[in-house]
Amino acid sequence: MSASILQLLVNGIALGAAYALIALGFVLVINAIGAVNFAQGDLVMTGGFVAVILADWLIESEAWTTWGLGVLVLPLTMVAMAALGILFSLFAYVPLRNRPPVSVFISTIAFGMMLQHGANAAFGPDPRNGPPLIEAGMVSFGSVGVSLQQISVIVAATFLIGTTRVVLFQTQFGRQLRATAQDQEMAEAIGVDGFRSIGLTFALAVALAGAAGMLLSNQFFVTPTDGGVFMLKAYIAVTLGGWGRLDGATVAAILIGIFEVMVAAVVSYVVAEALLYATLLLVLLLRPSGFLAESIQRRT
Amino acid sequence: MFRHLMLCATFCTATLVQIVASPASAKDAYIPIIVPLTGFLSLEGTAQRNGAVQALENTPEGVSATYEVLDTATSPEQAVTALHRALDRGEPVAAAASIFGTQMLAMLPVAKRAGLPLVTVSGTAKLTELNNPYIFRFFPGDAVVKVAHANYAVRELGAKRPALLYQTTAYGQSGRVHLARRLREMGTPLVYEEALAPSVKDMLPALTKLKAAAPDVILLHLHSAPTALAIRQARASGLDLPVVAGSAMHQPSTAKLLEAAHLKGVCAESASSPVSESVAKIAAFTREFRERFATDPDAFAMAQYDGINMVLAALADGASSAQEVRNWLAGHTFEGLAMTYKSDGKGNMAHDAVIICYDGETLVPTVVKRYHNVDGVL
Repeated sequence: MSASILQLLVNGIALGAAYALIALGFVLVINAIGAVNFAQGDLVMTGGFVAVILADWLIESEAWTTWGLGVLVLPLTMVAMAALGILFSLFAYVPLRNRPPVSVFISTIAFGMMLQHGANAAFGPDPRNGPPLIEAGMVSFGSVGVSLQQISVIVAATFLIGTTRVVLFQTQFGRQLRATAQDQEMAEAIGVDGFRSIGLTFALAVALAGAAGMLLSNQFFVTPTDGGVFMLKAYIAVTLGGWGRLDGATVAAILIGIFEVMVAAVVSYVVAEALLYATLLLVLLLRPSGFLAESIQRRT
Repeated sequence: MFRHLMLCATFCTATLVQIVASPASAKDAYIPIIVPLTGFLSLEGTAQRNGAVQALENTPEGVSATYEVLDTATSPEQAVTALHRALDRGEPVAAAASIFGTQMLAMLPVAKRAGLPLVTVSGTAKLTELNNPYIFRFFPGDAVVKVAHANYAVRELGAKRPALLYQTTAYGQSGRVHLARRLREMGTPLVYEEALAPSVKDMLPALTKLKAAAPDVILLHLHSAPTALAIRQARASGLDLPVVAGSAMHQPSTAKLLEAAHLKGVCAESASSPVSESVAKIAAFTREFRERFATDPDAFAMAQYDGINMVLAALADGASSAQEVRNWLAGHTFEGLAMTYKSDGKGNMAHDAVIICYDGETLVPTVVKRYHNVDGVL
């Protein structure tokens, strides 16, 4: 049973790590424009399809073999998705930037629907299998076998989350993004290009969604209608972790992954889901700012 | 730039409407195809659409039919709106209708008022229990396929301790009821069962508990992607027990998600498996389907094809109104590609099931067992 517990724990952390990438992108956009990005789940789905297309293209054009394919596809997917992020900001945010936040979040819903139906029209409704990050197999810790793919997902997500944190908190570029997110007018008054910063924030957020989509597409396949589930998980992670808190969303997302898997293993999936939503309701009722409240309390 | 894009979008939308909508002329029979092409049942809905279109583009001599395709998406309201739109556009003699039971339940009263026969492949048991004379189901219901499912596991594989994973949806719960009942009747009750929401991705928790219950066969009654996930994760976690899955496993798109080796010891129930059949008529259907739609047909596509062909047979036999078509469907026996169809008086037209198995070397299954006339209607 201890072997099972370790495998379950690894699965939970891997799932939570992918959720964390989604939640991280979600928070970045909330901070940048003050509106919820309801297309985040569909952007994850799009990332999965982009990874499938890139992998197929690399193999069919004989530009690459299956060996190490995922390691190449991951950054390519992120680059393609970053470009989509800039387009997303131009279509869903820029024309509405002087309107109330409700206009922007409705436009993100519309953009998400366009992605979903676009994927359905372009690729059909069949589930697709994305490339593995590394080859399938098991790694043994004594008598315990753990999936190599799951470990690689955890390592990749940790690297991306860590890199995002370094970029945001230890580079001039990151300071500009955060300054714009805190107060765009003030940031522009001291010479920061707010328009460019918001576009790049969208690019970063959507690239992270794309990375999550690629990592999930091999483990769990990808279909055009997958976005809703990921969106919900990101929303719950951000609510529990604290609106606007990158660290809170990351920790909450990983805990949600572990919670889902472990409660489902001990009781059932239905109970796990019910408890998760009950916790969300309690947090909204008793601590609407989340476990790690934002210091300036802008959104609660 | 923005204005140009808007103009382009408007033009494209208008063009699309022109292509999709082909208004009926006075002499042609009008048969709308009202199925989910977007949303979570788009895979099955697209198969329905393709099967119906293939039948309507190959009408028998002397019969001329037009059709249009209307998307019901995911909600009952959209399905009812689509049905109303079809009724407004002409005088349909029948309609190919959604595989989604919840949508069918909403469409049935409208069809009854309009006197329009609905030809569907939806498996929801309730549809044919409402005394609505306008429903005709061309895919075997759970009372047929789940009996075959349980019989194969127990009588052919010798299972004594079956375990079941099923979906939390109406589809899953209906199948679970019939499977559990049949297994109890045979003296081999389930030793473990768990319901999974379609959104569940990591199935290791359920498989861990399933393993602890020491079953000798795994029964699955899940949708397409969850079926593939369950099999792959079971094999990855060392669970090499035989698997007898629901009809989702017979879909070629499900098998494509897995490596052939994962499918060793995997069987599934279905109404038919077009890609497995070498009978000339079915092989010709499969070949034409692949050429027309660039994908493999599944049992849903072939059942819908058979259903619309029975409507066309009614027209060829002289039926000219919706009521006459309904009466013909209710009173005749029809030799389709998948099986022989005959109404049981409630609109259940399909009474056969097959079991397909994979050999672990290819993704094309073999039909290993045929169950004819399971409910004794024929």
